[in-house]
Amino acid sequence: MFSSLSRRRVLLLVVLTCVLLITLDKRGNPVIDSMRSVFARVMRPFDTATKAVVLPVERAWHGVTGYDDLLKQNQALRDQLEHIKGNDIEARSAVLEYRELLKINQLTSKFQYKTVVAQVVGESPSNFQNTVEINVGSRQGIGVGMAVTDGAGLIGRITKVSPSTAVVLLLTDPEFAIAAQVLTIPGNDTPSSTVPADGSTPTESTSATTTTTTIAGPAVTAVPSFDPKATTTTPPSTTDPFNNIPGFIPESTAPTTTLNPQFTTTTILEVVRETGSLEGQGADKPLNLRFVDVTSSLSTVKVGAVVDTAGGNTSNAPQGIPIGIITRISRQTSSGTATVEVTPNASLKRLNFIAVVLYVANQDAIGR
Amino acid sequence: MRNFVFGPLLRLLPVGLLAMSLQRVLFAQHPIHDVRLQFVLALVVAAGAGGGAERGAVAGLVFGLVYDLNGNTPLGLMALAYGLGGMTAGYVHTFTPDPQWWLASLFALVGAAVGELSIPVAEVITGQSGWITGRLLLVVPMVAITAAVLCPLLMPVGRWMMGVKRKKWKAMLE
Repeated sequence: MFSSLSRRRVLLLVVLTCVLLITLDKRGNPVIDSMRSVFARVMRPFDTATKAVVLPVERAWHGVTGYDDLLKQNQALRDQLEHIKGNDIEARSAVLEYRELLKINQLTSKFQYKTVVAQVVGESPSNFQNTVEINVGSRQGIGVGMAVTDGAGLIGRITKVSPSTAVVLLLTDPEFAIAAQVLTIPGNDTPSSTVPADGSTPTESTSATTTTTTIAGPAVTAVPSFDPKATTTTPPSTTDPFNNIPGFIPESTAPTTTLNPQFTTTTILEVVRETGSLEGQGADKPLNLRFVDVTSSLSTVKVGAVVDTAGGNTSNAPQGIPIGIITRISRQTSSGTATVEVTPNASLKRLNFIAVVLYVANQDAIGR
Repeated sequence: MRNFVFGPLLRLLPVGLLAMSLQRVLFAQHPIHDVRLQFVLALVVAAGAGGGAERGAVAGLVFGLVYDLNGNTPLGLMALAYGLGGMTAGYVHTFTPDPQWWLASLFALVGAAVGELSIPVAEVITGQSGWITGRLLLVVPMVAITAAVLCPLLMPVGRWMMGVKRKKWKAMLE
């Protein structure tokens, strides 16, 4: 065969075949999709056989070479766990309070959506793709575009689904983009007022002037100094703004802290929400956040602010899934724009068990 | 064509599946400096170095299609890149019909570099930008050196896949 074809013809044949296949696949071809599905089944016994050979050798090697490191890592993780236990109780309390507030305001929360727990069974073999393969697929209700999270936050979205497996495009991939939001409290000079516990004096509040979307936040009860006599009571204080919300039921409000003997300190916080598009820039690189309103973001967004998903009718990721933290803002004086770098919360190199959020935007948008 | 289907293709497919499986299970799971060494590409350039440019291109096409069907890349993208890589490595046969191991390794190195570099370029052409970065300066040499090191070991496999028999040279009797 090869002797009958000249080198140029072979090259031409290869290039034309590839271009034709790329074109067909890019336009979306059900035959190619079913071929991939069949191929995944064909590959499974090969993978199983290779794992049966490779894994024992790999484990033996790690047992010999990595034992000391493992001990050190184990000790470090134990220390870290003890530290986290303390924060965990506080976080749980905050989450419960948050859910309670959402319920009161009849808002949706990421906690309302069902998730499917999956295990990562493979990584992209290529150097030019940041994807992982998981062991759940369309049989478990997984669909293209669904958000995927781990314990720390968003890790990516589903791009390909077969009956029993799915491919997750990690958020560091240059192809990845998602609507994101940054919630900040403008101005660190937000004053707080001290009022008597009977609530006779009206509460002072600050209002930051901004062109961006502002969400009037709930009253946050701040404790100016530690008081051992502080007690937590369920009924709201008279300064609680939820008293003014239509349909508010005082019996089911979030707990507020009343200080003995005489004073309650209340601060009205105003939260500024900046929305934009978060894009991956490749492995080991921070994510790039582009704001919709560039000019306002320059003044309000600060390093250390938390970035989470913005939701929306077109996004399959519900609002409020944490993504990461702003680690760098570099302002370009000539254009007036800023490059905002976000470091993801999730450690994408050590993914094992993850959760797929069973949320489809269009269906949820109806009737809400 | 019939000779090809019942000859090299029957060997290429199982070897390709096995190589892909090794790539997924072993090489993809253990990156070195965040670079995943490419065993499949090493096999392609070894087939090219052992069998010539045309055979290298065909091996690259078949193995690349296996790669595409397995991964998340558009079907034909890796086939194009690996086809070019295999063909480049096969050019060693324009110099000598039976290359020494070091010469074959040298051409495998160049072929693997071409193959790996072609992937982000092809991705840009298909509308997936963002991979042509400084990281290529690390990825391409590492992948190429791996292919060059593995080439002498994989060349017999490559020859067998493509149905090429190594020439036996006999000394002329006086």
